[in-house]
Amino acid sequence: MSDDDRIIEQAAAWHVASERDDMDWDGFTQWLEADPRHRTAYDEVALAGALVDECRGSQVVVDTAEAEPRVVALRRSAGRVAGGWQTWAGLAIAASLVAVMVVPQFLKSDPAIYQTGSATRQVALADGSSVLLAPHSRLTIEDDRQMRMALTGGAWFDIRHDPSRSLEIAAGDVRITDIGTKFDVQADKGQVRVEVGEGAVQVASQALAQPIRLTRGRGLLFDGSRGTALVSPVQDTDIGEWRSGRLTFDSAPLTLVAADLARYAGVNVTLPDALRDRRFSGSLVVGDGEAALRDLSQLMDLELVRGPDGYRLEQRR
Amino acid sequence: MGSDNTETSGNETSGSGDWLTGIFESHRGELLRFLTARCGDREEAEDLLQELWIKASGQPADPIANGRAYLFRMANNLVLDQRRARQRAMARDHNWLEAEGQMADVPEKRPDPALPADETIVKQQEAELVRQAIAALPPGAQKALRLHRLEGLGQAEVAQVMGISRSGVEKHLAVAMKHLRNALADCGLIAPVASKEKKAIRGGEPRKDTGT
Repeated sequence: MSDDDRIIEQAAAWHVASERDDMDWDGFTQWLEADPRHRTAYDEVALAGALVDECRGSQVVVDTAEAEPRVVALRRSAGRVAGGWQTWAGLAIAASLVAVMVVPQFLKSDPAIYQTGSATRQVALADGSSVLLAPHSRLTIEDDRQMRMALTGGAWFDIRHDPSRSLEIAAGDVRITDIGTKFDVQADKGQVRVEVGEGAVQVASQALAQPIRLTRGRGLLFDGSRGTALVSPVQDTDIGEWRSGRLTFDSAPLTLVAADLARYAGVNVTLPDALRDRRFSGSLVVGDGEAALRDLSQLMDLELVRGPDGYRLEQRR
Repeated sequence: MGSDNTETSGNETSGSGDWLTGIFESHRGELLRFLTARCGDREEAEDLLQELWIKASGQPADPIANGRAYLFRMANNLVLDQRRARQRAMARDHNWLEAEGQMADVPEKRPDPALPADETIVKQQEAELVRQAIAALPPGAQKALRLHRLEGLGQAEVAQVMGISRSGVEKHLAVAMKHLRNALADCGLIAPVASKEKKAIRGGEPRKDTGT
């Protein structure tokens, strides 16, 4: 490492430490006195910090300006129990051989509708692609050559890339096209999340000035009611994580966390308006819905109140 | 009160106003030394020390705070505020000149440089660059930074959310700050302000400064 690098590194460490109550101000003074370059480096780091602070609250990447859908980029992940992608691909192939549900692409004209209750459902497509439909979700497949799907709720898509067709998935107010290969979609109440685990997709909406291309490791959170679309990086291991019974959130609005808990943990929780925009980051295990809620309330320092129709989160008094 | 007490403090009491000024007096020497080291300029440090005293005397009493650390932090922030104002002035000049150059042949489209709209554009551009820089951070550092600086969680809360130690959070944040400094310096958002230039700016209008 060069001298300059080392100095910047030290400056960054001092900058972070300066927030501590037990910051060593004497040590910092001596460090500054030791070399004039230290001062310059510290200035630069502190200015960078100030610029970041000024950006607070303006994370929106694409401003959809008006009403409807918003896509939020979440992190969910692929933390599979055994074996990772390869196992997954194997499963997909196995599923199509065993014919969990094969949709003949050319013959039928009625759309096929798949609706799940509290369990997931694997839908195998004729070309070897597959969709794992989340609990309490609904997938409609229009059975024409072009293959159109519509999703409400959540699904993990593993789609064979075929440039000769134009597969399109409608989810909430967005359309997902140009698809290959593995991605997760969650569509609920005007919010749509798309996260790409492998390959890339394109996401378009009337509310977006232009389509957004998402590549591996990127997620989009689209919020129709607020007119925002946010693209952010997503950990590979977080994408489609619901498949292994976990949900990982990165600065996700509580409304969205609540919707996911309802779908994946089977618990209903309502939120007062004041909490709807609070952000949550962290992982929840969804096997036991009530435990997940308790974890959430503790991590956020909120009060969990049990009512007649489920739970309610409230500000601690 | 006042007196020479304590670094760990918390117990320097008295009515508002005097609370910090007493501590200020007993640490005046250290504070001046710090400001001098921080600014690299004795005269400027003395000015800032003066400003610090004024701020401290207006500060309501806070019985829990560590007064000495509080003053150092205030001093450190004063220097930063000044640096920011200087950067801002330089960016404005730069932008103004650029706009002037580009728009010269279409006078009716030339924005009035005095308009705040100019500033808005500068800020938008900055925000975009900062966002890009944040997006390029390594995952752990990025997450810690977002939670801490954008979501406003304290370092201890960040540690809890991320399931790592407090010092782990500090390491992530330091990595983030280092990367951000490098990225933002590369795109010219933070230019080092040399001592002589800053003299010129301090004197009067920023507009006449050099360098752009």
